[in-house]
Amino acid sequence: MWRRHLLIAPVVLFLAVLLVVPYVNMVRMSFLVKPPGERYLNVFTLDNYARVLRDGFYWRILANTVWYAVLTTALTLVLGYPLAYAIARAPNRRRPLLLMLLIAPLLVGVVIRAYGWLILLGRVGLVNELLRALGRQPVELMYNVTGMTIGLVHVFMPFMALSIAGALQNISPDVERAARSLGASPWKTFWRVTWPLSLPGVFAGMLLVFVLAVSSYVIPILLGGNNVLVIPMLVVQLLLDAFNWPVGSALAMVFFGLTAILLWGYVKLMNRALRWSLR
Amino acid sequence: MSEGRSPLFIAVVVALYAFLIAPIVIIVLAAFNAGEYLRFPPEGFSIRWFVKFAQSGPFVRAFVFSLQLAAATTLISTVLGGMAAFYVVRHAGRFRDTLRLLVIAPLQLPAILTGIALLLFFYGTGIGTRGMRALLLGHTLVCLPYVFLTIATVLIGFDRSLEEAARSLGAGPLTTFRRVTLPLIKGGVISGALFAFITSFDQFPISLLLVSVGNTTLPLQLFDYLRFSFDPTAAAVSTVSVLMSVAIVLIIHRLVGLESIAWGGPR
Repeated sequence: MWRRHLLIAPVVLFLAVLLVVPYVNMVRMSFLVKPPGERYLNVFTLDNYARVLRDGFYWRILANTVWYAVLTTALTLVLGYPLAYAIARAPNRRRPLLLMLLIAPLLVGVVIRAYGWLILLGRVGLVNELLRALGRQPVELMYNVTGMTIGLVHVFMPFMALSIAGALQNISPDVERAARSLGASPWKTFWRVTWPLSLPGVFAGMLLVFVLAVSSYVIPILLGGNNVLVIPMLVVQLLLDAFNWPVGSALAMVFFGLTAILLWGYVKLMNRALRWSLR
Repeated sequence: MSEGRSPLFIAVVVALYAFLIAPIVIIVLAAFNAGEYLRFPPEGFSIRWFVKFAQSGPFVRAFVFSLQLAAATTLISTVLGGMAAFYVVRHAGRFRDTLRLLVIAPLQLPAILTGIALLLFFYGTGIGTRGMRALLLGHTLVCLPYVFLTIATVLIGFDRSLEEAARSLGAGPLTTFRRVTLPLIKGGVISGALFAFITSFDQFPISLLLVSVGNTTLPLQLFDYLRFSFDPTAAAVSTVSVLMSVAIVLIIHRLVGLESIAWGGPR
């Protein structure tokens, strides 16, 4: 029955050539010499890494990028939890509608959603037109960190809500009812029963949103304008505008390497927290 | 809170949904508004921005190009993703988890990083980014996991005794696949294809890196346009794209149910 392996061969070949080789090639590129006026030389060097690691500017942008992602993760958690709860505990006939309203925005292009925010919150947007009509000062909501954060939270909140709703779905409503019938207040029931049981979904959602937010490029560039700089923007600038492939690749490697280490620590910590909370 | 029906909780949830759909609704309103800007009160209903879209060469070209690209991407990723789903669910044995991780890897890796890696690779090998080829390969790579996950979900719940019955009645493997298996998993295959289509149609970061001179996709054209003007032609273009997304969500819901997609996928 060797013929059945023909089913997977094309996919493995496709992914090997278009995923594995390009990534390995990018790692190789980060170790090559960049002479002025030329793309790269096939000579090994560590200079690109030294240049990236010694530059305080890169570290500052890196800290900003991580901070924006942490902020986005925290906000999507606070806003996504009630949504997830409403979906998981909705009557069966209403749940499909609630899910549809959560998933539909995910399938609308990110440029279009950013454009919607510009119409709403831009300098000549609806909110500022309203303020002007009321005789108030316009507020700067777009092309800064505020605008970018609104956009990031909007884009990633459905992922957080879906992840938490999945966990809440697995908690039997009877557990909550039992706590209530034993005299626990609704708040106490939530904090002592529902919240600890939903933690796996919360941690998975936080992980997902952080990874997506830290590497996002489109929303920062569209809604952050010239006032926000994140590492993915810097990498694209180095590669496409400065044509510096070796340093651009090295910066990408350092950034995603550090992110991976951060995530590894996070997963370790969360596993410990889970074990502790379920004791 | 325990029953989730206090007025405050309902108000919060309604506000969150309003936040989620506000930017999308506002685009549709802007597209049908007669004026240059959305104002209170609105300046009346008009389809002039749709007419302007239909007359705009760059937008129409980008729209047609994106449709072609998405159609080609859908075809290739559905065939590849479907084959992978069959193999991983039914035959993979001890390589199952490894293969699953490999196929969904493009979903886990940051799209912008994958785009950069592909760009360097295409230039390095001399394949280049001319024409649709580079975009097609890049889009197929990121659409593959969606098809794989959707088809794998329906295959896991598949009752194989139906196939065995067909075989024992004398049908060959191909006939069994065509007359029994395919009709039963049709919903999953179509849903996966639609996911791939809309993912390709809306793709931005990979397109930005792999696009070539002369061919631009609709999201890239919109992005360029919005840097210099806020004319509601862009809103009309976006509205057409939003309507496509909404239609696709509704069809997928009818075919396989959104709940199975939301948290029924193979873990």
